[in-house]
Amino acid sequence: MIWVEFKKQWRRPRTVITFAALAVFSVVLTVAISATGSGTVERVGDVPLLIVPGTSGLSVPVIALSSTMKFFLPLAVAIFAGESVAGEAGWGSLRYALARPVSRAAYLATKLFVALVLSLVAIVLIPVAAVVAGTVAFGWHHLVIVNGAASTATHQVVANFSPGLVLGYLGVATAYVAAGMMSIFAFSFLLSTLTTRPFVAVAGGFGLTIVSRVFNSDYLPGVAVLNPYMPNNDVDLWQNFFVRPAVTSGMAHFLVLQVVYVVVFLGAAWIWFVRKDILT
Amino acid sequence: MIGVELVKQLHRPRGWVTLGLVAAVPIVLVLVVGLSRPTVAERLGDYGSVVTNSSGLTLPLIALSAMLLFLLPLAVAVFAGETVAGEASWGSLRYLLARPVPRSRVLASKAVVAAGFSVATVVVVVVSGVVGGVLAFGWHPVTVVDLQHTTVFHVAAATFSAPAMVLRTLAAAAFILATLASTFAFAFFLSTLTTRPFSAVAGGVGLSLVSRALDNVPGLHALSPWLPVTDSGTTAWTGFFTSPPQTTDVVHTLVVQAVYSAGFLIAAFVWFTRSDIVA
Repeated sequence: MIWVEFKKQWRRPRTVITFAALAVFSVVLTVAISATGSGTVERVGDVPLLIVPGTSGLSVPVIALSSTMKFFLPLAVAIFAGESVAGEAGWGSLRYALARPVSRAAYLATKLFVALVLSLVAIVLIPVAAVVAGTVAFGWHHLVIVNGAASTATHQVVANFSPGLVLGYLGVATAYVAAGMMSIFAFSFLLSTLTTRPFVAVAGGFGLTIVSRVFNSDYLPGVAVLNPYMPNNDVDLWQNFFVRPAVTSGMAHFLVLQVVYVVVFLGAAWIWFVRKDILT
Repeated sequence: MIGVELVKQLHRPRGWVTLGLVAAVPIVLVLVVGLSRPTVAERLGDYGSVVTNSSGLTLPLIALSAMLLFLLPLAVAVFAGETVAGEASWGSLRYLLARPVPRSRVLASKAVVAAGFSVATVVVVVVSGVVGGVLAFGWHPVTVVDLQHTTVFHVAAATFSAPAMVLRTLAAAAFILATLASTFAFAFFLSTLTTRPFSAVAGGVGLSLVSRALDNVPGLHALSPWLPVTDSGTTAWTGFFTSPPQTTDVVHTLVVQAVYSAGFLIAAFVWFTRSDIVA
């Protein structure tokens, strides 16, 4: 079942294009940085981390992960999750797929597993491609990061990270970002069982990130109460690994929140799909 | 033709619901801000900062800066994206075009009416913000702290009389409308391509989101001045509320908007006058 599904997905241009676009993003980013001034300071994230990209290739994965986690990665995840069931329904092949002597639960689990693996590959692809592209362009050196929040005009708070340590942090950061995408994944997957139009499921799943970001107190006054319960706002907390001393507050709360959202959305998808009247 | 289209759109609940919702947002902000933090300074873009309860005239500014990220592009994309695709999805487009009127005139009247609703959206936000704000916090002069020139040693601030605030708010609203033009034109173009209104609306909002996402990638600064929707471009109006006004990005932003809008609208006309209408 799982192999059949993997082969089917792998042959579809959508999968290949999504992966290619994500891998190309890191390369384009590296080229753009080296073309427009790798010696100037880049402000990364809300902290902000001040990084001079030209000093180490390992700055590129930090920048790439920061700039994809709020838009391109949620989109990729929503594409894989949203297309899974609705894609079959859109082609009209869902009822034939379900005519096989396999329980609906097993079928849904297979779809879920394959979409999840493709999503995780997409997320891992960004930092891996960025490490390779960055190292080729700027070399394998220690990464120096200035903490923009703690620094003043007269005193800079600087932290120096060895390449091995950066890789370790990036590994944990990627895992954290991947965990932060799970609410989006689960919501797209739920929509995918509800609609027969894949585009609606993808747009709806991606819409959850937008709604989450709109109810962010940075943009809308008075919604600070809701902020800690929004599904996708705190996905950037991993950037605090790169200040000294590292700050991890809020991360555990965010991970628990993800689990709650995932259980609710996937539970709803399950209950809906095993009882649904399949017409296409 | 414009009258016919206008009457048709005025009979549809969609426009009224959208305008009602955008009118409600400033009122909700008045309640939320008034109850939770009326004395806290709210930041407006890169240039200004105002204290809400000092005057009701701060409310339209807070509402506009909160809504221009997502809700205003969404409203504009709803109006522009539904135009042609809405007719196509009902299957009424071919009958509409069977009338002895050139396609370009049909399209132009749809564009004008959708643009009128988009203008109405921003006007409704401003009016609702002024009314709600003045009822809650009164009609007073406003002091705006200039964030660009304030240091720890010196607070740069300017005070505007209430009528002057209203005039500047109208200028800001006009500028915000102009920054929504590329989103409008892109959703309108998509509306001629697809028969599903949802795709056109989502695509229009998508343009503003993709553009903002690219604007915020560190390392791609070289791209920022040429993107249709950017953080600095859409908040350049906050420079109107300092003395003297800071209008660095204003002209550049308007030129970029004009180029994108013209491009998408021309594409819409070229496509629509030649397309094979099957719905």
